[in-house]
Amino acid sequence: MHQKLTNNLLVKCKGLFFMLLILGISLGVKAQDGKALFDANCKSCHAMNDVVIGPALKNVHKKFSAEWLHKWIKNSQALVKAGDKDAVAVFNEFNKMVMPNQNLSDAEIDAVLAYIGKESEQAPVAAAPTSPAPGTVTPEKDNSTLYWVIAIFLILLALAATLNKIKKGLEYAVREKEGIPHPPHLEPKEARSLWISKNKKLIAVVLLLLVVFGSVKGWYALKDIGVYTNYEPEQPIHFSHKLHAGDNKIACLYCHSGADKSRHANIPSASTCMNCHKYVKEGPVYGDKEIKKIYAALDWDGSKYGTNQKPIQWIRVHSLPALAYFNHAQHVTVGKIECQTCHGPVQEMDVVKQFSPLTMGWCINCHRETEVKMDGNGYYDEVHKTLAAKYGKDAKLTVDKIGGLDCARCHY
Amino acid sequence: MEKRYWKGVEELRNDAEFVRLKNNEFFEEIPVDEVLGKKAESKDATPRRDFLKFLGFGVAAASMAACEAPVRKTIPYLISPENLVPGIPNYYASTFFDGHDYASIVVKTREGRPIKVDGNELSPLTKGGANARVQASVLDLYDSERIKGPIAKGKAASWDTVNKEIKDKLASANTKQAKIRIVSSTIISPTTKKAIESFTTKYPTAKLVTYDAMSQYGIIKAHQLAFGKAALPNYSFDKADVIVSFGADFLNNWIAPIEYSRQYAQTRKLDDGKKTMSKHIQFEAALSLTGSNADNRYKLKASQTGNALLSLYNAVASKAGAATVSAGKTDADAAINSTANDLWNAKGKSLVVCGSNNANDQLIVAAINNMLGNYGATISIARHSNVRQGNDEAMAELLREMNAGEVGVVIFYNANPLYNYPDSTAFTSALNKVEVKISLSDRNDETAVKCDYICPDSHYLESWNDAEPVRNMFSLVQPTIQKLFDTKQSQELFLLWSEAAVTDYHEFLMQNWRQGFLATATGMASIPAWEKVLQEGVWNGEVTESEPAFVGNVNDAASAIAARKSGGLDIVVYEKAGIGNGRHANNPWLQELPDPVSKICWDNYFAIAPSMAKEKGLVQGNIIEVKSGNVTLKGPVLLQPGQAKDTIAVAAGYGRTNSGKAGNKVGMNAYPLLTFSEGTFNFTNSGASLNKTVEADYTLATTQSHHTMMGRAIVKETTLEEYIKDPKAGNEEEKFHSYKGKVSAKELDLWATKDHPGFDRPINAWGMSIDLNACIGCGACVVACTAENNVPVVGKEEIQRSREMHWIRIDRYYTSDMDKEKAHEQGIGKLSMYGYMEEPAENPEVVFQPVMCQHCNHAPCETVCPVAATTHSEDGLNMMAYNRCVGTRYCANNCPYKVRRFNWFKYSDNPQFDYNMNNDYGKMVLNPDVIVRSRGVMEKCSMCVQRIQYGKLEAKKAGHPVKDGAINTACAQTCPTNAITFGDYNDKSSRLVKQSSSERMYHLLEELNVQPSINYLTKVRNTTSKTNNSHKA
Repeated sequence: MHQKLTNNLLVKCKGLFFMLLILGISLGVKAQDGKALFDANCKSCHAMNDVVIGPALKNVHKKFSAEWLHKWIKNSQALVKAGDKDAVAVFNEFNKMVMPNQNLSDAEIDAVLAYIGKESEQAPVAAAPTSPAPGTVTPEKDNSTLYWVIAIFLILLALAATLNKIKKGLEYAVREKEGIPHPPHLEPKEARSLWISKNKKLIAVVLLLLVVFGSVKGWYALKDIGVYTNYEPEQPIHFSHKLHAGDNKIACLYCHSGADKSRHANIPSASTCMNCHKYVKEGPVYGDKEIKKIYAALDWDGSKYGTNQKPIQWIRVHSLPALAYFNHAQHVTVGKIECQTCHGPVQEMDVVKQFSPLTMGWCINCHRETEVKMDGNGYYDEVHKTLAAKYGKDAKLTVDKIGGLDCARCHY
Repeated sequence: MEKRYWKGVEELRNDAEFVRLKNNEFFEEIPVDEVLGKKAESKDATPRRDFLKFLGFGVAAASMAACEAPVRKTIPYLISPENLVPGIPNYYASTFFDGHDYASIVVKTREGRPIKVDGNELSPLTKGGANARVQASVLDLYDSERIKGPIAKGKAASWDTVNKEIKDKLASANTKQAKIRIVSSTIISPTTKKAIESFTTKYPTAKLVTYDAMSQYGIIKAHQLAFGKAALPNYSFDKADVIVSFGADFLNNWIAPIEYSRQYAQTRKLDDGKKTMSKHIQFEAALSLTGSNADNRYKLKASQTGNALLSLYNAVASKAGAATVSAGKTDADAAINSTANDLWNAKGKSLVVCGSNNANDQLIVAAINNMLGNYGATISIARHSNVRQGNDEAMAELLREMNAGEVGVVIFYNANPLYNYPDSTAFTSALNKVEVKISLSDRNDETAVKCDYICPDSHYLESWNDAEPVRNMFSLVQPTIQKLFDTKQSQELFLLWSEAAVTDYHEFLMQNWRQGFLATATGMASIPAWEKVLQEGVWNGEVTESEPAFVGNVNDAASAIAARKSGGLDIVVYEKAGIGNGRHANNPWLQELPDPVSKICWDNYFAIAPSMAKEKGLVQGNIIEVKSGNVTLKGPVLLQPGQAKDTIAVAAGYGRTNSGKAGNKVGMNAYPLLTFSEGTFNFTNSGASLNKTVEADYTLATTQSHHTMMGRAIVKETTLEEYIKDPKAGNEEEKFHSYKGKVSAKELDLWATKDHPGFDRPINAWGMSIDLNACIGCGACVVACTAENNVPVVGKEEIQRSREMHWIRIDRYYTSDMDKEKAHEQGIGKLSMYGYMEEPAENPEVVFQPVMCQHCNHAPCETVCPVAATTHSEDGLNMMAYNRCVGTRYCANNCPYKVRRFNWFKYSDNPQFDYNMNNDYGKMVLNPDVIVRSRGVMEKCSMCVQRIQYGKLEAKKAGHPVKDGAINTACAQTCPTNAITFGDYNDKSSRLVKQSSSERMYHLLEELNVQPSINYLTKVRNTTSKTNNSHKA
């Protein structure tokens, strides 16, 4: 029994370690904004009304003195070891799980406590969605110019029709007055052929314009075949990058751990999700519904993985044809390209969509414009000397100058 | 009266139904309405027009749908495995041994599946080399013909039932005192032997019978007689200055070819201005790979081998002052005397080997080596080899025991005697008298189908094991993939059946290493030591025993040899480079590998000398019947220059009936031609006859139909004597007439250098250098390239149409008796001269030349591509963008080296080419970094650009320039003789630059000035006679 307890504790400590890792990533936040600090540092283990990993924090500022809370947040174990009664009680109540020491200044802790105070007044409220539901985000385009153009066109058209009618009326009146015989009444069919024979040039020009317009449009339509920019499929789990990468500031490489070493960035394994979701059991939008899908996939019963595991079948968003070889490590580690350069502001996307066209022209263009990151990479020392001699000292050494446009860089 | 014909009885009878239908366009009703889903009452509508409308809408809808993104799933691991990053290969040290070849290997795995096998450079034996079979072994893992689970009496069963039933049978055999026999090919694993020991202890009537299809029992028996130790000695070719071989194909199949090739090449290479090389003299009947590489090769009928050995013995004995014996005359007596001189001058640094499996022959060989003081110097009995332990006499005894009904249970482990036992009919009838027959085969082979139980063995890449190929030199086998099928490795079964305390073989193996026989000697008791050995793959111990003394009786052996009778035609049964003894016949990579000498794939044949063919009125492709004893075989004829007269050579390993769909019915089974005499199975016999049949001629699938160089300097060659005088010998620069007078090809250039910078590459300039003195033509590179680059297998018929897809080929040229000087002297006209030049000499010298894309810096292919699908890279590679290629094939026409390959078909997912790319298992071997090409595109060697890119990226990540040797092409990596050197011309300290600056360096077809990135080093032969330099113009 004791053994099992220790094991359990170990597992949890391991989890905490990971939490710490993620928290460490976001420690750069210095703003005196209590909510931001809370979200960044506390949220993964604490909620206002529910026990997540640590206790619910509603009214915690009333239960303990501010001085005690400061000590506890900075180093809870010191308090426990010193034999503080309250500290020991909390420690024991939560299975002797160690709260990690928070590297926060006094001012920051005060801001967090103030936020907790504020929230405690409002609570309980149902967790309101902090972001719109996935799938509803549609980028708003500024279409006002188009509307104006259409409106003016319609007004002009109406004007022309009115003027034409007035002109015809006037003509009729003039003929009546002058006694000029009216032109014979023509059947619509005859009138049409008469008009056509009179306006051959106009028709030719219009037809030509239509053909040119159609060809240009058709050309661009053909060029778009197989280009899936803005492809935004619904995924089996409503996973929000905005929540994880944006709000919680989890580094891209934490989950997509291959991006800096391998050809593939890798979709994270479900076990990677479990590093946090062993503890974080509820999300802000869907509650536990989506997180439970991870548990179901892993056949997780709360303490161990079962045997009835079912892989998660994600829908692939970014997909290069098999004939093109792309290596993430080359671009992330060597080229030092930000993920967002190609994948767009993923940290703002609830549902990930394809940001770039991923066409060969797009690749080539970037290779023509991007300078090779030679500084500090020993591989390029000699290369730089050679190229400087060839292209001049101040020349922009773009990727194409080191063979970045060679077919066999990507096709083999 | 007008004749009247009835359409049928219906019309005659005037049936109501007939009347109704007779006005219709089609007599039978066309189910248009059913197709369109209309109801019966609307028959009067116009279904054809509707049909067209539906068709039109259908096409439009389909095209619209095609524009939508196909939904691709991406399924990550649920629990990510430790130490595995998708996209990054993992490497594991392991060992290949199939009862025939041994190699310490490194297995490359991607996402948990092995995709490539390479040599382990840490091994002191194979030193990073691997041959074609080792390379191809990874494909055997994914063979769809493997049995998926245990089989009892022809039906799938569970392991529990099978094991229980077998244990019952074993126990009852034990109580009845019936014999239990395990028939196995050579086992070199000490721990496997221990597992079998635990089995034989549990069942005292059990015994292990070791049976090799192509055994070396003759040598083992001879050493029992000569030194009192039944062991196969270990040979060190690297320590020998003079190597004399009597039909031993030691570079191809004899004992340990990978090891010997490495050692042999070491003595042949002329690196760093070295001016010495070993002298290799070969006496043989059929032209073998080893004979092709010899400095002096003499034709010797197989039936004269014994007498030739006795003559050599006498010649050496007279120099050593020992007694001589009487020896019969042979065709090569003059050569034998000069050979004896060479040997005597290199006393203690020479080596005589013989391919005969006859103990008396081998005793004479041992006696010669003993007189030359080679034991302890170039030959070691103390550190003996373990790779052949087959005992022919024990096998003959087993046949007797089975016939006598003494055997109750027989277990076949890695042995298939119903295919390769010479008298398989006798073996079958004997086997029928055994009550319980168990096969541990991985497939339903010829023996397994006759067995009551098949307990499929796991592939070696799924297993744990160890190996001791040479006394006290060990290596480990570790699994590199989860078991694909419900198999069990046989060692585990032996432990299970013997109810051992430990039945998990991994545990058993570790115990054996840590606590067992190695513990005291090696300190293997600690886990770190075990893990270190596992990681490195090899571990070597000392040998303290001393070499035993010679006690053999030469006179007995001599009289046995003298008593032999010969007459008629000789038969020589040999093994080919790819198929070997036929165990891996179902491996299409090996079937498609051309034989190094005959250049024929997917077949075996009767090879005869051209002069004999003329005599008997035969031409290549005639079907003949060969009769030897009471065996008759029928097959096609191949004219093989260099073959001894009155000799028919035929390869074993073909004619399988139960190997799987690729290997079945390929060629004929030559094992019945082996004969049992003087206590061993002999690969040669005499007294055969041949008959021409009236059957239609047969087209052999060959990859090379032209055999001589026609007086051109394609392979440049010189002799050691001339090379010492002038290192540039044989590599004289040719000059050509031009408007500037006679100039070298380099001065004549079509292209302005501005657009075609040639070798002037700013960053890297990749290239390869091939030492023709080291290349032995074995073909390991061809299979390595196939595995690395997803080269498809096209099959026999396509090769008959010259549509092979190999990216690297090895050209083999024979010398001709005719050259320009000779024609001039004899007043032969030009046309007849070229006619004679096409004919290889009766005993030609042979050269091998690996040819892949030469990556010309002024590439002729690039200028003719209408769509710029093949272009040149910044680092000197000739690139091929498959997706851009429209298949005009102009490039192939304009390539002077003929290295471009066209995909006439889609070879994957095409049932017409039912090889590994056409089933889900076989596809697992594909290299995920290289695309599988589709129909209608050209392809060719990319200089393993995926490896170059990978190596560059690794260097960039680590922040240092690419180190010489960090990148290697597949062909260079596997080469057992290190003939191919890959590197960067811009790295002035690289091995490539060093090798390319040799005076021997030349480019293939230099006169074209296409500036290839691949160069060759001239071949040097250690002969005193001037080489028959056919290129001398």
